[in-house]
Amino acid sequence: MDVTGILDEHKSRFKSVQVDRLIPPEIDLGMLASFDINMINDAKLKANQNTRDTYLKELSREGAQLLINEIFSLPTTVDDDGIYASLPKATTVLPREKPVPKEKLLTRWEKFAKIKNIQKRKKSRMAFDEEQGEWRPRYGFKGINNDDQKPWLIEVPGNADPYADQYQARRQEKKERVEKNKRRQQRNAEEGVATEKGLKPQEMRKRELQKALVMSKGSTASLGKFDEKLKGEPKIKGLKRKFDPLVSTVDKEKSKNMDILNRVAKKESSATVLNVRKAQRAINNSKRKQK
Amino acid sequence: MRPLTDDETKVLFEKLTKYIGRNIVHLIDRPDEPYCFRLQKDRVYYVSEDIMRKATAIKRQNLISLGVCFGKFTKTGKFRLHITALPYLAQYAKFKVWVKPNGEMPFLYGNHVVKAHIGRVTEDIPEHQGVVIYNMADVPLGFGVSARSTVDMRKIDPTGIAVFHQADNGEYLREEDTLF
Repeated sequence: MDVTGILDEHKSRFKSVQVDRLIPPEIDLGMLASFDINMINDAKLKANQNTRDTYLKELSREGAQLLINEIFSLPTTVDDDGIYASLPKATTVLPREKPVPKEKLLTRWEKFAKIKNIQKRKKSRMAFDEEQGEWRPRYGFKGINNDDQKPWLIEVPGNADPYADQYQARRQEKKERVEKNKRRQQRNAEEGVATEKGLKPQEMRKRELQKALVMSKGSTASLGKFDEKLKGEPKIKGLKRKFDPLVSTVDKEKSKNMDILNRVAKKESSATVLNVRKAQRAINNSKRKQK
Repeated sequence: MRPLTDDETKVLFEKLTKYIGRNIVHLIDRPDEPYCFRLQKDRVYYVSEDIMRKATAIKRQNLISLGVCFGKFTKTGKFRLHITALPYLAQYAKFKVWVKPNGEMPFLYGNHVVKAHIGRVTEDIPEHQGVVIYNMADVPLGFGVSARSTVDMRKIDPTGIAVFHQADNGEYLREEDTLF
């Protein structure tokens, strides 16, 4: 019995698993993607819609076929649910969505520690309180550095005033330590901002000060128009000078000039002292007239 | 060319009041024609409104001069009067000094006025006040600043300086290229 006819018929119903490509397409199994860089048949693409559609469909089928061929060549595991192929890691590099996080700026201490090669050592959270004979946290609630756990007796140091409150001194000392640390934190933050902007910290501070100065100068009712100039006051940069229009109505300019003149003349007249001779002469003249 | 700002106007008027006092009013408020002050390349020009309007058609770089140059602003923001302002100063001057014929030339060569050359003086000139200097024929020669008050002027010796030189008509020749 010849079955080749039946086989051929069966074969022609399915498409070939074999795909021929001039350049073998890149396949990224981890992503389940294949990239075909072969030339596209331009004539078919620009032909009528039917031809184009069948061409594109064929192209994508072949790509998918190649991918599936690769998947079948992977090692498989058989489970109760079915057969699993384990995919390798993706090789395609996708661009990041978010920018790369900035490196954290070093504080002054961290810089120093780096130079001196000082390693950070992990301290345990709990510390043994020898006075009470129990383990307590180093800081925080019921911590050993807390004032509520103050010693019932403090020895007065030899050179201290015997009537001074040692508990008060203790509290004060801690307060100062905290304040100092806060100041340093602030300084580190400021320096961090400055270096991020590519400036020297002193330069940055100067700029901030100038900005504050400009703000405060503009905070009067006249927006700083009549403010006295400070000695050595820096010239404000970035402010646009504004001039009156070159040609305006005559009266407007005249009245403005008159205003200024009045102000100047008033100042001038108040500055001049009484001219005794002139005054005397005026009095004499008026007396003569009366006669 | 642009109008003066308030500050610049103040500086200009403060300088002018030293010479003509409140008579600046007559410069601002003229009966014949409206006049205005305009700044062009640091120089202050006193110009009639009509000419100023015509000058607006000229590019700033190309405009060399217009009207009468009163003086210029220095880099430090002070105002310096030029000799070209003399006709207006002479017209409205409050304090005048007349020099004798033998004192004309020394003054016109840029020297201070010594007491020996003074012919006549306005009474009651205070010290360091702007004065306009005339010859005996009442022709204005220049201006300066009084070194002494009128009373003290009588006491100094003949070679003592009575008026400090600021500008004189000789500058039209000496500083021809930079004056306008």
